[in-house]
Amino acid sequence: MAAPCRKMASRSFSQLLCYFSRTAVGSGACRRFSVTSIDRATPRASTAADRATSPWSLMAAVCLQRLPVITADCSPIEQRFKQMLQQMELEKSMLSDHELRLMEDAERMSRRQADDYDSDEDLGDQEIMMTQDLEDSWEQRLKNFQPAPRVRADIDEDLTSVQRCLADSLVLLAEQQVGAEKLWLLPQAAWQEGETLRQTAERALNSVTAAGVKATFLGNAPCGVYKYKLPKAARTENSVGVKVFFFKAILADGTPGSAPTASLLWLKKSELQKYLKPAYMMNVGRFILNL
Amino acid sequence: MNHIFRKLQVTFPQQASILNQSLCSLCRATPSIQHPVWCTAAINERQYRDMPTHGIGRWRHLLLKQAPKKKKDRNQQKELVSATDTAYGTLNVTVSGYDMTVVEHYSQYIHNFCNRLNIKVAESYALPTKSTEVLLMQEQGNKTYVDAVLKTHRRVVQLSSLNASLCPVFMDVILKNQPEGVQLSVQEQTEADYQARFKARPELEGLVAQINH
Repeated sequence: MAAPCRKMASRSFSQLLCYFSRTAVGSGACRRFSVTSIDRATPRASTAADRATSPWSLMAAVCLQRLPVITADCSPIEQRFKQMLQQMELEKSMLSDHELRLMEDAERMSRRQADDYDSDEDLGDQEIMMTQDLEDSWEQRLKNFQPAPRVRADIDEDLTSVQRCLADSLVLLAEQQVGAEKLWLLPQAAWQEGETLRQTAERALNSVTAAGVKATFLGNAPCGVYKYKLPKAARTENSVGVKVFFFKAILADGTPGSAPTASLLWLKKSELQKYLKPAYMMNVGRFILNL
Repeated sequence: MNHIFRKLQVTFPQQASILNQSLCSLCRATPSIQHPVWCTAAINERQYRDMPTHGIGRWRHLLLKQAPKKKKDRNQQKELVSATDTAYGTLNVTVSGYDMTVVEHYSQYIHNFCNRLNIKVAESYALPTKSTEVLLMQEQGNKTYVDAVLKTHRRVVQLSSLNASLCPVFMDVILKNQPEGVQLSVQEQTEADYQARFKARPELEGLVAQINH
């Protein structure tokens, strides 16, 4: 397409600062993201002469992903290998300071218990806290700590919850009216004059989800395109079909506050097949990574 | 070959006939030039400058002249690539965390991934480790005691330029493979970042201040 591609090429680039962190966050199910854009120049609007009248109308869609929060469980072979490596590392490693102190204390105790114990030999002042007691107190604190459950079966079943399946990455799907029927697709919106395709995608996301949801777009370039022709009855001279450009975005740590406007689903890549049309699924499956 | 043969004839006229005969007997048609060397010269002697094969093994003169490398060149700052319409400029991908093996392995993974995608990696260096002491209040008294010492390790992979179309793919894969306990940060490289890596030199700064005053 002449107009939008040239627009994207001539737009001066926004400088992005992205900060992603993956730490154990108890409450939120998403990673903490912060994006500061330093400089974002307005794109040059294309003149009427530039635009070639093409029968394809443009839309932009957003592929919003929620990244996994916890690691996936290891397969049996992986578990055995991990245990073996840990055992090897333990056997090859040197003693730590704590272990050395434990050994010294044990030796001192055994010397005191011996028959020929001379209290003058004991050099240095006694430690008030023995190392073994320290270790016991640490064990106690560990027992008092309750980690959150890794897998919650009831939330996993709920397809609309953003906290389901913490070990996999999820994609947002929205039910939208396309032509005469309601279809499940990645949230999309029609391109309007004077805006870039990425802004169209952002508008699509905002229209479908609640206001509090923050997403970081991964770049200004689309990651995929899907074009479909309108059914013969709806085709006119000016509109043969629609081209949809997909943009990738990552869900930032936003609290999903108010209820979303349309019905939304958070699905794993394996579950997408049940909801998307086959041709659409083939196209979309190419850029959704199943890592 | 003929002129050498003729030279031999000129210098040793009385033995010309004998040489001729010996040469003919040993080597059938053409006289071999190696014959005198094999007779008279030792094995390790180089051939004389007049020999046609003099300097036959030389190859170093065929290489392009390289400027001699000065030790100061190693610490020069690499050129900062500025952003164009289709590519980002010099980017710093910083990986930081408490566990050094995980941080190092992740930074190596990013570097290998860039090599595979043909993204040019300008530099890959480590920033100094920062130690954080965690002090806890004692339950009984008011005194705090040292509970743990946490060390934050940081590794930086500097990319010289990143194509805009490749950027979403790159970021997606890196984010999906991010291990736990590791923070990832992608920022533009600035002059201040480079200068921050050097230690402050107080005497030099004092002298410079003295000069300026």
